[in-house]
Amino acid sequence: MIPILAQARFPAPEFENYILPQLQMETFIRDPIVWRVSALLLFLVVTGLCFYRWRSAKAMRLLALAGVAIFGFLFTACPCPVGMFQNLLAAFVHDHPLGYGLLLLFAIPLATALFFGRLFCAGACPLGAVQELLHWKSIQIPLPVDRALRLIPIALFLLIVVAVVAGMTFPLCSLDPYLPLFLWSSSISTVAFLVLGLFVSRPFCRYVCPYGVLLRLFSLVAWKTPAITVKICITCRLCEQGCPNGAVLPPEDAPTADLQVRGVRRLSRLIASLPLALCLGGLLGWYTAPIISGHHPAVRLLADIEIHQTNDAVEAFETSGTPLAQLQNEVAQVRHIFDWGMPLAGVLLAGVVMAELIAENRRRKESRSYTIDPSLCFCCGRCYAACPLNRKREPKEGAAS
Amino acid sequence: MISTRKFLRVLFGGGLLAPFLWLIGKRKSRQAAFLWQIDPDKCIQCGKCETACVLGHSAVKCVHQYAACGYCLFCSGYYQDKRIKFDTAAENLRCPTDAIKRKYIEDPYFEYTIDEEACIGCGKCVKGCAAFGNGSLFLQIRQGLCKQCNQCRIAEICPSHAVVRVPADKPYLFKRPPEVKT
Repeated sequence: MIPILAQARFPAPEFENYILPQLQMETFIRDPIVWRVSALLLFLVVTGLCFYRWRSAKAMRLLALAGVAIFGFLFTACPCPVGMFQNLLAAFVHDHPLGYGLLLLFAIPLATALFFGRLFCAGACPLGAVQELLHWKSIQIPLPVDRALRLIPIALFLLIVVAVVAGMTFPLCSLDPYLPLFLWSSSISTVAFLVLGLFVSRPFCRYVCPYGVLLRLFSLVAWKTPAITVKICITCRLCEQGCPNGAVLPPEDAPTADLQVRGVRRLSRLIASLPLALCLGGLLGWYTAPIISGHHPAVRLLADIEIHQTNDAVEAFETSGTPLAQLQNEVAQVRHIFDWGMPLAGVLLAGVVMAELIAENRRRKESRSYTIDPSLCFCCGRCYAACPLNRKREPKEGAAS
Repeated sequence: MISTRKFLRVLFGGGLLAPFLWLIGKRKSRQAAFLWQIDPDKCIQCGKCETACVLGHSAVKCVHQYAACGYCLFCSGYYQDKRIKFDTAAENLRCPTDAIKRKYIEDPYFEYTIDEEACIGCGKCVKGCAAFGNGSLFLQIRQGLCKQCNQCRIAEICPSHAVVRVPADKPYLFKRPPEVKT
């Protein structure tokens, strides 16, 4: 400790019998990251067993409870789906510290999604676990609205990538509504999301979470996917009604020749309009770029200085004695990144929208049973519980009817 | 022989993994043991630390560097600018929570101690001490209270970018002497 001061206006008096008190400054004690990584691994293995082998909805709820306790309160919301990919990006672009432990915490859920679907969301993600537990009654959101809302995380993801590259501090961290919960405090958005979560299943996971975008992508090609019933499906619709997340896909008949012709026509129209859609996306990005870059602290500071507004940031800038040219240079760089990044992000978003529309109109095989879309399934196990064929009681009667 | 569908799947999965592996390989800093701290040289005592912290009770507290203190009778960190007179009535004191404890040492010197239970990190006393005194009071993030969020909320809104990352073996930033100031 260096006992030196910034201004020496009054010399310290010389006392006769007075002992200078020593400052007691405690340091931060971090638990070894190995614990967190091994806890996550163990938890995911147990989740996988409960979901794929024992197929128990009750066990999944218990796991969510354990997830809140362990990863939420004990590790203080540690494998945080909101911050993780921002960390990786910042480590790559701006020398942000990122150890091997954090890297593993980022990679393990993605690797799991690649092989077994979104097991991470079920309980190991503290935010997902809280929403799972505090879901009371579900309101089914109409499919078109749901599909439109599902684009929000993708847009947010792209936006955040651009913002982090441009050197904004992690923009989504302040939007994370559940973090205050694990620190025993709350904010308006916490209450709002918790109340919304009572009626809409997992509002954050489905319509905000940017890490979920990655998990969705990775689980598209999942090696092992859940099947609602191991026996022959009787198409009773109970699982579709039981799923609050809209992840159960109904069976489909083989397309008739008439439908097929119409489908091909629609598909060709979609593909023909692809360049137009991409251009529109780019334009959207180009128009929003100045609005978004205006929120960058450096850009805002320069704007305030130019209109001679006095606030804390301007005052701090003036006292620090940094030359104005340096700030202008920084702002020009930030604007450059946004001017290129936002149109690119817009094109990508338009591409995703078009890819979804095209995938919707592709030729499908005839399917006779209800299936699960692994990219939307949060592995809660409700469909297992709803399926009459899975119940141990009177299995033969269910199969006969 | 694997089917076309399976082959495409593997191709898609590999294509997804590749950019991440590339990002991971190219990251620059592997050091993770960093802590958040306030640089007192940059701090302008705007008072945002008090409310911006995710903790209900901010992890930012005032620290008193006794060795730098002038032990003044009329401490400008203790008394308000608009005081009516120099006594310990609440309207004359700067601290909104009465967290600065004053103890008589010898004529005319007093020792000032921060009661950290009561301190809310508003920085009002720091501002007063820096303006008229030695600047021996300053704000620091107490590492025993701080949760080391991935992104510190205070750092996000700090107007003077005073919240910085420090290596874990030097968890506090004390003031530097005036001549070395860069």
